[in-house]
Amino acid sequence: MKAVLLDGIVLGLGFGLLGVGLTLVYGLGGVLNLAYGELAVLGAMVVSLVKDAGAPLALAAVAGVAAAMAAAVLLDLTVMRPVYRQSGEHRVLLGLLVTLGVAFLIEGLLNWRDPLGALTVDIGGGPIGIFGVPMPMSSIWASAITLGAGAILVVFLGATTFGRAIRSVMQDEVGARLVGISPSFTRTVIFALSGALAGLVAVTSAMSSPLTVTQGFDLTSFALIVTVVGGLGSVTGAFLAGLLLGIVDTLSAYYVGQYITSVVLLGAAGLTILIRPRGLLGR
Amino acid sequence: MKGAAAGYLGQKVVEDIDLEVRTGEAVAIVGSNGAGKTTLFRAIVGLLPCMAGRVILDGVDLTRRRAHRVARAGVAYVPAERHLFPAMTVKTNLMLGAYPHRPNRETLELVFDLFPRLKERLGQQAGTMSGGEQQMLAVGRALMTQPKLLMLDEPTTGLAPKVAKAAFEAVERLKATGMTLLIAEQQVPLALSVADRAYVLENGRVRMEGTAEELEHNPEVRRAYLGVA
Ligand SMILES: Nc1ncnc2c1ncn2[C@@H]1O[C@H](COP(=O)(O)OP(=O)(O)OP(=O)(O)O)[C@@H](O)[C@H]1O
Ligand SMILES: [Mg+2]
Repeated sequence: MKAVLLDGIVLGLGFGLLGVGLTLVYGLGGVLNLAYGELAVLGAMVVSLVKDAGAPLALAAVAGVAAAMAAAVLLDLTVMRPVYRQSGEHRVLLGLLVTLGVAFLIEGLLNWRDPLGALTVDIGGGPIGIFGVPMPMSSIWASAITLGAGAILVVFLGATTFGRAIRSVMQDEVGARLVGISPSFTRTVIFALSGALAGLVAVTSAMSSPLTVTQGFDLTSFALIVTVVGGLGSVTGAFLAGLLLGIVDTLSAYYVGQYITSVVLLGAAGLTILIRPRGLLGR
Repeated sequence: MKGAAAGYLGQKVVEDIDLEVRTGEAVAIVGSNGAGKTTLFRAIVGLLPCMAGRVILDGVDLTRRRAHRVARAGVAYVPAERHLFPAMTVKTNLMLGAYPHRPNRETLELVFDLFPRLKERLGQQAGTMSGGEQQMLAVGRALMTQPKLLMLDEPTTGLAPKVAKAAFEAVERLKATGMTLLIAEQQVPLALSVADRAYVLENGRVRMEGTAEELEHNPEVRRAYLGVA
């Protein structure tokens, strides 16, 4: 039981970080980036390429994260521009269409180049006892990286001047413009951050199980569920939701079976929405 | 601004506007509902594109600049809807006014001097404040940008008459500090009481202009806006 819970927490932290990348972009301009999971896969494939070329793992990981980030910035500066020129419902719909198109494009490209591509990140070292439960080194590394990234994010958004500027755009775009903050610049930064997070999650998740070229859509769906449960635009909400869903996921896999987990996850998400329509910490 | 026009969806709402505000002056734009005051303000600060004419501040052309760059050039606009950051504290709202710089000490003193209430409520969330307090905060935040020109759109919106008068007393004191002001207001007597000069806007065009005193004694203005038969 304790072991299942710990596994759930490890998985949940990953879910949380995955959700953060999606929820930030949504909070900042109402766009649900359906290409989000594909950015993660893209990053993973770059990691795998650089690693196979003989580079050390850390360098390969940095290259993958950078690649996902660069792809996100490219998206923001090109196809997202017309989206952000719209407002309200038009922006939401056009955003869905455009990012869905990009998702198909990236998925198609990766499938064509390397249909069997997969990233496995091997972390050496034996299990370490945590609360009397032997935890694999990979889980410890993944969780440590995730927590570190989460802490940096919380400090960046909560306690720096630029972080405050970003939150001001989330709360009132016109107000932000009136004090001299450029919404489009902050959006580019957040898009970059979101891409980097996608890449990072790809690396940490590949530490425990291989990430394949075909998993982009799954990642996007998980991120969506976390975002909805956590409350759109909330970083701490995303982490809470991630933990909750991670624990639900491992419990249901343990007691019922792996095949049921996605349904249970969606059920949990639906239930949250019924009880708290704005998500756990939504505004 | 010169010969400016603006509107929505290609439809001009205000047209042929020649408007001048000199340094240290308080200028009022008066006009009834729908005259186009807000549209005019939005065009000046770049929230709406100018469809004709130019907007110039101290010889610098701001006509095609986007709103955040107009703000950085020294034009602060306080919209009637205020557009505060509701989930942030009074303090953070004021600090964001100064963005990207650190808040200027003297400006902060000036804001607290004008609105002591803000100093008492530094930790309160902006969204939970009363309408009058939010108006103070909106003006305070705008002042923190250290503007050369401060534009107030109907600063009395939603305020009880007594509070509205207090708001204009604050405007009066602001003017005494040498701030250059452009104020849109439906309550013409209040507006003319602080303004040096005023423009009367009707159906998107400047109908009359003159010193506050001239307009106060103008029979047409008295009939239409001052409720004098
Ligand atoms: N977003 C918009 N889209 C289309 N038309 C608009 C929009 N906003 C305002 N208008 C129209 O522009 C005209 C001028 O409106 P504006 O808000 O500038 O007037 P105003 O003088 O500020 O009025 P008030 O004193 O009521 O605030 C009105 O006829 C209004 O219906
Ligand atoms: Mg108006």
